[in-house]
Amino acid sequence: MIFAFTAFLACPRGEAVMSFSDDRAVKRIKDTLDFTTGIVLLVVSLVLALYLVPNYIGEPPILQNPMMSPRWLPNIVSWLMLAFSVLLILQGLLVTNKSENDERKFIKGSLRRFVIMVMALLVYVLFFETLGAILTGILATVLLFLAHPVRTWWVYGFAVAFPVAVTLLFVNVMNVPLPLMPY
Amino acid sequence: MENLNEVLQLFLSVDNFIAIALGVVIGVTVGSIPGLTATMAVALALPFTFSMQPVAAILLLVGIYKGGMYGGSITAILIRTPGSPASACTLLDGYPMAQQGHAKKALKTALFSSVIADFISNIALIFFAAYLAKIALNFGAPEFFWLICFSLTIIISLASGSMVKGLLAALMGILLSLVGLDSVFGSQRLTFGNYNLMDSISFIPLLIGLFAIPEIIEFYRKKVVPHIKAKASGAGMTLAELKRSLKSIVRGSLIGVIIGAIPGTGATAAAFISYSDARRRSPNKANFGKGEVEGVAAAEAGNNGVAGATLIPLLSLGIPGDVITAIILGAFMVHGLTPGPIMFQENLSLIYALFLGIMFSSLILLVVGNAAIKYFSLIADIPKSILFPIVLMFCVYGAYAVNNATFDIWLMLAFGVVGYLFNRTGIPAAPFLIGFILGPMFEDNLRRSLLISNGDLSVFVRGPITWFFIAITFGSIAFAVFRFFRDRHAKANPLGNESPS
Repeated sequence: MIFAFTAFLACPRGEAVMSFSDDRAVKRIKDTLDFTTGIVLLVVSLVLALYLVPNYIGEPPILQNPMMSPRWLPNIVSWLMLAFSVLLILQGLLVTNKSENDERKFIKGSLRRFVIMVMALLVYVLFFETLGAILTGILATVLLFLAHPVRTWWVYGFAVAFPVAVTLLFVNVMNVPLPLMPY
Repeated sequence: MENLNEVLQLFLSVDNFIAIALGVVIGVTVGSIPGLTATMAVALALPFTFSMQPVAAILLLVGIYKGGMYGGSITAILIRTPGSPASACTLLDGYPMAQQGHAKKALKTALFSSVIADFISNIALIFFAAYLAKIALNFGAPEFFWLICFSLTIIISLASGSMVKGLLAALMGILLSLVGLDSVFGSQRLTFGNYNLMDSISFIPLLIGLFAIPEIIEFYRKKVVPHIKAKASGAGMTLAELKRSLKSIVRGSLIGVIIGAIPGTGATAAAFISYSDARRRSPNKANFGKGEVEGVAAAEAGNNGVAGATLIPLLSLGIPGDVITAIILGAFMVHGLTPGPIMFQENLSLIYALFLGIMFSSLILLVVGNAAIKYFSLIADIPKSILFPIVLMFCVYGAYAVNNATFDIWLMLAFGVVGYLFNRTGIPAAPFLIGFILGPMFEDNLRRSLLISNGDLSVFVRGPITWFFIAITFGSIAFAVFRFFRDRHAKANPLGNESPS
C-alpha cells in the first residue's frame, strides 16, 4: 500500500510506474488515482470524526433528544464519509478505469505559466485592499497575459481598460462597493 | 384583477426587459466560447444582481441559463467542442452536418428546436409549478425532511461517473454547509474561532471557486492547444425540414419536461433519451449520426425542454434540480426570498411576473440566437489567453463584493483548488453544491419534526405523504444500486451489450 502511494506521488497523473522497485504492489491496484483519493479522504474523515467534531463543535449539557445535538449530523456525515472512502479504496483496488476519454488526465504545460498564474492569484489576495481593485486588476491581468504569453502589444490595453471599466461598473452602476484606490 | 395589475406592474419594467435580453446575450456568448460554461456565467453574474430588483435579478440569471443551453450547441456543431455535457448529443449529427457544409442548417435547426422546446417547457412550468405548490402546502417538516432525503438520493444516484464519488462529494457539501453558528443552540461548529465563518461559509465565493477557478487553473496547467477557428456556412433550415422534425421536437420537449421536473436528472439524460427516441421512430434512421437534421432537432429539444421544467421543483418545493437552479436558489435567498409553497401564497405576483419574463426570454433567445449564428466567429475567436485573465478578475471582484472582505477571496481560491482537485480525481462538483444547499434544509426539517413531536420518531411516518416519499427515496436508492451493477456488468461484457443495429 505504501509502495503504491509513493509510486503515485512519483507519477501524479495516476499512471502506474513500471520502473518502480516493487512493481507488483502497484500493478495490483487497478486505479491508482481512486485508491489515493480514497486514502486521503479516509484520513480526512478520521480526523473529522475523532478529533474535529468532538473538539470543535460545542454541545449543550442537556439535550431532549440526541438527534437535536449540533454534533449529530456532522458525526453521521463524518462516519459516512469514512465508509465511502473505504469503498473508494476498494474501487481503486478492484475496478479498472478503461475509459479513453478519462477527463482526469491531461498533458501538462510549462511550469512557468503555472507559477505566474499562482503569482497573479497571490497579487489579488495579498494586495486587493491595499492597492485597490483597479491596480491589482491591472497587475494580475498583465501577469497572466505575460504567462501565456500574449505577444500582440495592443492587447495589453485590455489589461488596463477592463479592470477600470469593471470596477466602475461594480461601484457606480451596480452599487457594489470595491476598494478603488491604494490605501 | 388586482393581482393581474400587480403582476403587470412588476413585470412591465424596463429593468426586466434589459435583464432578460442581457442575460440571454451573455448566456449565448459565454456558451459559444469553448471552455466557458453557462454555470460559470451564472455564478459570475450573481454578485451583479445584489442591487437589482428580485424579478430582474432572477430573470437575468434565467436568461443566462437559457442562452447558455443554446450557446453550448454552437461550439458542438462547429468545432466539435460541446459547451455543456448536454450538447454532446447535438454534436453526434451537428458536427457531421458542419463537415458536409451544412453548418448554418444545423445551427438554425438547433435554434428553432431550442426555442420551441423552451416554450413548451415554460408552459409546463406555469401549469405544474402552481399545482405542485398547492399540494406542497399540505407538507409539514417531516414531509419536507423526506422530500429532501429523496432529492439527495436521486441527485447522488444520477451523478455522472462513480456513485461513490458522487456520495462523497454530497457528504463533503453537507459537512461544509454546517460550518458556522448552530441555528438552535448557537454553539460554534468547526469555525476554529474565525469570525468570518460564524455566519456559515459564503455561498458566492464557494460557487465561483468551484465552477470558475478550476477552469482557469487547468488552462494554465495544461499544454497550450492551438486555437480552432470556425464559421457558420451553407443554407439555413427549410420549412419542410422543420415540419419533418416537428414531431421529434415536440416529443423531445416533453421528454425534457418530464426529466427536468425530476430533481437531479438533468439535460444530458433528456438530450440522449430524446435523440434515441427520434432515431427509433424516424424513417431516416440510417442517417442518424451521419448528419441528420432530425437528430440535431431531437437532441436540442430534449436539452432545452429541461430548462423551464427544472424550475418546477425549485419554485414549488424549494428544491434545486441541478447546479444552475441551485445558484438561482442562492439568488432568491440573496434577495430575502425562499422558493417553495409559501412563496406561492405570499409572493404570487412576483412568481407570475417571473413566469411572464421566462416566457419572454424564449422570444429573445430566437433573436439573439440568430445573431449569434451570424457573428459566432467574432465571439469564438477571442483566445482564452485574453479571456481567462478577465474572467479571473470578475471572479475576484464578485467574491470580494459579497462581504467586502479579503477572506472571501481566500475562500474562493480555496474552493477553486478543491474544484481543481475534484476535476483531477473525477469527483463531481454538482452533488457537492447540492449537498451544500440541501444540508441545512435537511437538518432544519429534522429538528423541527423532533420539536413538534417532542422527540417521538413516529412523526417521520405520520401519514401517506411521508410513506410516499419514503417509498420513492428507497426506490431511488434501489435504482442506483441496480444501475451500479448493470454498469459493471456492461463494462465486464462490452460486446454482449451492443445492439444489433
